[in-house]
Amino acid sequence: MAIIKTQDLSKVYNPDTIPVHALRDVNISFEEGEFTAVRGPSGSGKTTLLNMLGGLDKPTGGSVWINGEDISAMKDSDRIDFRLKNIGFVFQHYNLIPVFTARENVSFIMLLQKRDKKEIQKRADELLDQVGLGERKDARPVQLSGGQQQRVAVARALASEPKFILADEPTANLDTKAAMNLLDIMERMNKEENVTFIFSTHDQRVIDRARRVVTMVDGAIHKDEVKEVTQAG
Amino acid sequence: MVTFIKLAWRNLWRNRRRTLITILAIVFAVVLAVLMKAINMGSYELMIDRMVSFSTGYVQVQDYRFDDEPSLDNTFYYDESLRNRILDSDHRIAEAAPRIETFMLAANEVATRGTMVLGVNPGLEHQFNEIKNYVSEGTFFDIGQNTAVIGRGLANRLELSVGDTLALIGQGRFGMSASGLFEISGLIDHPVIDMNNSIVYLPLDAAQELLSAEGYVTSVVVMIANERHTNAVASAIRGNLNDDELVVYTWPELLPEILDLMEMDLAVPRLLTVVLYIVIGFGFFGTILTMTMERLREFGVLLSVGMKRRYLSVVLFVETVLISSIGVAAGIILSYLILILIDPITLTGDAAQAVVDLGYDPIIPMSFAADQFYTQGLFVFFIAMVVFLFPLLKIKNLNILEAARS
Ligand SMILES: Nc1ncnc2c1ncn2[C@@H]1O[C@H](COP(=O)(O)OP(=O)(O)O)[C@@H](O)[C@H]1O
Ligand SMILES: [Mg+2]
Repeated sequence: MAIIKTQDLSKVYNPDTIPVHALRDVNISFEEGEFTAVRGPSGSGKTTLLNMLGGLDKPTGGSVWINGEDISAMKDSDRIDFRLKNIGFVFQHYNLIPVFTARENVSFIMLLQKRDKKEIQKRADELLDQVGLGERKDARPVQLSGGQQQRVAVARALASEPKFILADEPTANLDTKAAMNLLDIMERMNKEENVTFIFSTHDQRVIDRARRVVTMVDGAIHKDEVKEVTQAG
Repeated sequence: MVTFIKLAWRNLWRNRRRTLITILAIVFAVVLAVLMKAINMGSYELMIDRMVSFSTGYVQVQDYRFDDEPSLDNTFYYDESLRNRILDSDHRIAEAAPRIETFMLAANEVATRGTMVLGVNPGLEHQFNEIKNYVSEGTFFDIGQNTAVIGRGLANRLELSVGDTLALIGQGRFGMSASGLFEISGLIDHPVIDMNNSIVYLPLDAAQELLSAEGYVTSVVVMIANERHTNAVASAIRGNLNDDELVVYTWPELLPEILDLMEMDLAVPRLLTVVLYIVIGFGFFGTILTMTMERLREFGVLLSVGMKRRYLSVVLFVETVLISSIGVAAGIILSYLILILIDPITLTGDAAQAVVDLGYDPIIPMSFAADQFYTQGLFVFFIAMVVFLFPLLKIKNLNILEAARS
């Protein structure tokens, strides 16, 4: 069964003044374990789609189903809770709490989930080790490079053990080396731990790493291709 | 919760300078408000303290007609049994001192003066207000002695001194004529100015005999260990006496003029305090406003990853409370230290002379009353709560995407 499924999903901004049709009857579904890139020119609706999938905004038409639940019908406070349990986010920038260290940023989301203190510490340390920041656990975001910050953000998104992770242009502000490094980490998490990733990008190097590429044009799905699985490990 | 407090605490120091300025402004307001109040209240507390100990007592028992018509006809019989009933009313009562009080004329060869004659039990009266310590010449009478102690002001006016004879003329109970001669055994520098110029202390039984009122008193003043218990003790006595003819008053009921005067005098500093706090309140609001607005994007991210709006409000609430309570605590400590340092202010030069001429001490004592400290705390806390409404509403209505785009 698909973990995410949209049904005639539409979004119109400013319906009363100058309507902008950011999404037009989008029907798409995502399976567990996917590593999917959403590509398309600027303004094609990538961010809007990801926001809808993450329940950050309400559609003006259609619905979003996650694990069989219609999140567009939820109350605001229930949706916040739902996100905490099911969805991990990585944004383009300003991801982290600036006054918290890397470790605290990763732990915080697990504290919100009211998990056991010891377990939180252990998992935060493990995740930071996995994203290659074992040495920088006590650094604050300003003391980290952009690439390191995004890796902390990925660790934080993973911390809550979500069903899937949404990343809106996670590499847009990174240089090539940092971008590829982040992709390596995401890919490894996907392969080793079967974490589902859906990320938007217009960067060809990133698109090349995806196993499924969804192309958007003018608010609609223009193309949806699954690549041949190359080789494992 | 610990994490939220940690988060709030660190957020405070993100803009160290702004937070410090805000805290300093609160400290400044608290210190100014406390000092204003302490200086104003200090003189009143001293005045009230003296009036209470030399005149009214904290609690006083009277005949029910005496307040309307303070005449010797409205006295009551006071014996061991009544004394015991008063003392047994409440364990917080330390002592009870009977007094008989009336106006008489005092005369020498050349002049007459109106005086207030106060018949007292010397031992009890001393326990009550250490009256003997104010005797500056001669001695206070003991029980069984039949002498008078008069205020120095009165003595000066009548040109009398220790060893001279004082003639008293007046009316006793039920219109009986009353006159007597008393040897002056002591002069007293009475701390209550009016009394210094008019008081004549006589032994209680001598006064009663003079006024044809053997066994009768005009009032019994009740001593209690702590002013706080005034009302409780008064109602305990009322209950225990259960006597239609006797009424029990507390000192505010007996000194309404002083309290009115005090209220009037405090009106201006109160107004200043309010204005001060309004100004500080706006500064505080400005800080919280910018602290909220510049972090909207961050709030958006926090809501996105699953932090409840409620928790976000808690963090901002803690920030507001931290700033205000640090300010209040520092303000209270600082003003307390300043008060200790300057108390009492001793006037010098012309100002001192002017005050002495008016018959007051040339010192301004400071009030250390606890309430003036915590009132400021409550005040600032109230302002903080009003200020907090802004972030509260902002978070409640925050649109995640708009926040993230800001
Ligand atoms: N809040 C908004 N109000 C009005 N129009 C918006 C808003 N957000 C996005 N749009 C418009 O919707 C369209 C899709 O935007 P977006 O989803 O951000 O595209 P992408 O992420 O692919 O660049 C664009 O035309 C954009 O201008
Ligand atoms: Mg976008």
